[in-house]
Amino acid sequence: MIAALRTLSDRLLGRGEASITVPIFDGALKPNQMLERAEVVDRFDEANDIATDGRVLFVADGRRVLRLADGAKTEAAAFDQTVTALCALGDGGLAVALDGREVCIRGGSADGSRSTGPVHAPFHAANAIAVTDGSLRNDGAQWVHDLMGRGSTGRLILLDPRSGEVREAVRGFAYAFGAGAFENGCLVSESWRHRLVAVGPEGRRRPVLDRLPVYPSRLAAATGGGFWLTAFTARTQLVEFVLRENAYRRRMMSEIAPEHWIAPRLRSGESYLEPMQGAHLRTMGVLKPWAPPRSYGLVVRLSAAGTPVYSLHSRVDGINHGIVAAAELAGFLYLLAKGPGRLLRLALADIEREAAA
Amino acid sequence: MTGPILELRQATKLYGGSPAIDGVDFSLATGEIHALVGENGAGKSTLTKVMAGVVTLSSGKMLIGGREVSPRTPLEARQLGVAMVFQENSLVPSMTVAQNLFLGQEKFYNRLRGIYIAAQQFLQSLNFDVPPTATVAQLGAAKKQMVEIARAVLHEAKVIIFDEPTASLTPEEKKYFFDLVRELKRRGVSVIFISHALEEALLISDRITVLRDGRHVVTDETKNFDRARVIQAMVGRDLSKTLYAGHKERVRPPGERVLTVENLRMAPMVKNNSLSVFAGQVTGVFGLVGSGRTETFKIVSGILKRDFFHGGEVILRGKPIRYLTPAPAVRDGIAYITEDRKVEGFFETMSIARNVYMGLLAKLGGRRPLVLNKEAETVGKKWVDVLNVRAIGQDVKVVELSGGNQQKIVIAKSLVQDPGLIIFDEPTRGVDVGAIAEIHQLIDRLADEGNAVVMISSYLPEIMAQSDRILVCRQGKVVEEFSAHEATEEKIMYAAIH
Repeated sequence: MIAALRTLSDRLLGRGEASITVPIFDGALKPNQMLERAEVVDRFDEANDIATDGRVLFVADGRRVLRLADGAKTEAAAFDQTVTALCALGDGGLAVALDGREVCIRGGSADGSRSTGPVHAPFHAANAIAVTDGSLRNDGAQWVHDLMGRGSTGRLILLDPRSGEVREAVRGFAYAFGAGAFENGCLVSESWRHRLVAVGPEGRRRPVLDRLPVYPSRLAAATGGGFWLTAFTARTQLVEFVLRENAYRRRMMSEIAPEHWIAPRLRSGESYLEPMQGAHLRTMGVLKPWAPPRSYGLVVRLSAAGTPVYSLHSRVDGINHGIVAAAELAGFLYLLAKGPGRLLRLALADIEREAAA
Repeated sequence: MTGPILELRQATKLYGGSPAIDGVDFSLATGEIHALVGENGAGKSTLTKVMAGVVTLSSGKMLIGGREVSPRTPLEARQLGVAMVFQENSLVPSMTVAQNLFLGQEKFYNRLRGIYIAAQQFLQSLNFDVPPTATVAQLGAAKKQMVEIARAVLHEAKVIIFDEPTASLTPEEKKYFFDLVRELKRRGVSVIFISHALEEALLISDRITVLRDGRHVVTDETKNFDRARVIQAMVGRDLSKTLYAGHKERVRPPGERVLTVENLRMAPMVKNNSLSVFAGQVTGVFGLVGSGRTETFKIVSGILKRDFFHGGEVILRGKPIRYLTPAPAVRDGIAYITEDRKVEGFFETMSIARNVYMGLLAKLGGRRPLVLNKEAETVGKKWVDVLNVRAIGQDVKVVELSGGNQQKIVIAKSLVQDPGLIIFDEPTRGVDVGAIAEIHQLIDRLADEGNAVVMISSYLPEIMAQSDRILVCRQGKVVEEFSAHEATEEKIMYAAIH
């Protein structure tokens, strides 16, 4: 009863859940153009994830896993389903998520093992046993349906690569996207709640970093401790508003084509039919039109405690949007920009130097 | 410049047997801009008050145009051609700007419309954007200062004394003010200019006189001074390496996000403002008067209230907050150290110890129903030692302290609450250079100890020297953020104006 009254008063006064506020990109998240200056290593039409075993880089592209080494691109494995996620295991094996329905292991001590059952893609295993399931209702390609449907059916699943046994550790995530080993448990990125959550061994959840101005995607271990957190798009007040207007949102979802929804995208600026949030700003005394980005690219360097240290951006006028995965290899940071389908590369030394400037 | 229009010879003024100025020789040439500098308590204000007829000399002579005079009231001094623009303005708040301008010059029959028209024309000739029909109480500090200056110019004084005239002016207003002073000089008016902003003294004056501990130290042409020499003369030691040394050499990394402000609104001053403050850092906030920086942080600390409908969010350590009064903010560890210490900062007739103890009582609230004298003394003594407050004893009334020591008491009153988020609003306004260095060291220490420190300042060298990150406000919101490494005065000012 009290909660219902609170919701009503919040909607009336524009407070709490109905405040429709978005955090600012400041401090360690201060915008720059570092992602736009990244070298484009290769282009892929259907890339979903990247992983490395410390020697070569693997790219999940459609139904294939490609190996990138010494400037050459070769096929490492092929499947009859779409590869939605990858993880290189410590014993030389490669865990591959297939169309959100099973995890298959190639190479290493558990070669040939397959885990089926509750495992959905997208997934990312930090240490070969932690698997995230974004949504029970929607598959990976329909992430925007899950966001606009206010989905919260994501799970963290623990997987035994040898036996193929799976165990659901936590459920109720609003789209669990990435995971990484953290303290004595896991760190999970919860995209629709814009936060990182630490999950203890007994399944207890604790927010480590919240109120992010973006929708976080995967986590990758960084040299010297900490993580690279990727984010596939930024939050805007317009989308936050639509998410709180249930009748409008439901009607939009039922009557309008998904590509024209008022919703975040992995890339934008391709059609004049795209919805825009009109805004303006005054520069040099002149009022100029401006619209917040529908898509965005962001990579955040996190400390071992999960605190942002610095960040790399591709802003509204950039191309390298929709960053969904990161991996460190041979002094470079590789990034997958799913928006334009680009594999990007930046020298770690250059990143550190620019971040310190 | 020609011969002296005003001279003081062996000027001494005693207060209760103690000299505020002691055997000071001073001369002001016709058409000269003369800067008078010194630490708080050096005797600048007393010296100028003697000239303006506010106080009389205990011994020594004052000469105007070679004739010995002894003005006993400001009116007598004004009749002799000496007018003073005081640091604390002397306007009548309930009267309009025009009425204040012509106060004391009323005719038997006054036509109000005529006064307004004359005031409008006069203010426009000075390029001051002040409505003559506005009540003075409605004006901000900068505009009140403009009215004070206009009044002195209107009285056609031969000598105008400005006591800290630029302390509350924006950079653009300062430029107008300096142009005005140069215009006065061109007309043959002599100007005495007291300022703690040494750059201004070095920029505008023809000669500089330095006082220390009530005594004359040096008078020389401005071209023979640089910043270091002035400071050394003022304090008797070299502070050039510690005060405004330019860019910070060590920038602290951000810690935990302590404060998040999202889309904050308070019409008409704060418009959709968003910012974050991190632990272990000094976040400098720069902006012109009216940019909404003070109002934003007054909302955070419960002194002002945001818009009732859609006022935005303020999150303190992950928890949304909306304070109706400052008391819960104090209990949650937020300390706001005011820019207007004389009005909001302390109880001037209460002792140092009592003032500091009031801060503690504000934190404890109902948990401390009785005032314990012994505890007050202990707390007062501790903070007098910690902040190096220079006073004869803790029982001294705060009003009797110099500006720098008063500011330390205001700071102590907040720090005694053991806050985690400390907001300094113009922490060194009207404070002498010695105390500025100590306050800056304190700000650094607080950040090093892991506190989140916000420093609002209109003084660019201070912002540059102290801040780990710099937020620039314009038209009610943060429009730009600079790291300490990338910030320059030009970049900050460009962001603040355009």
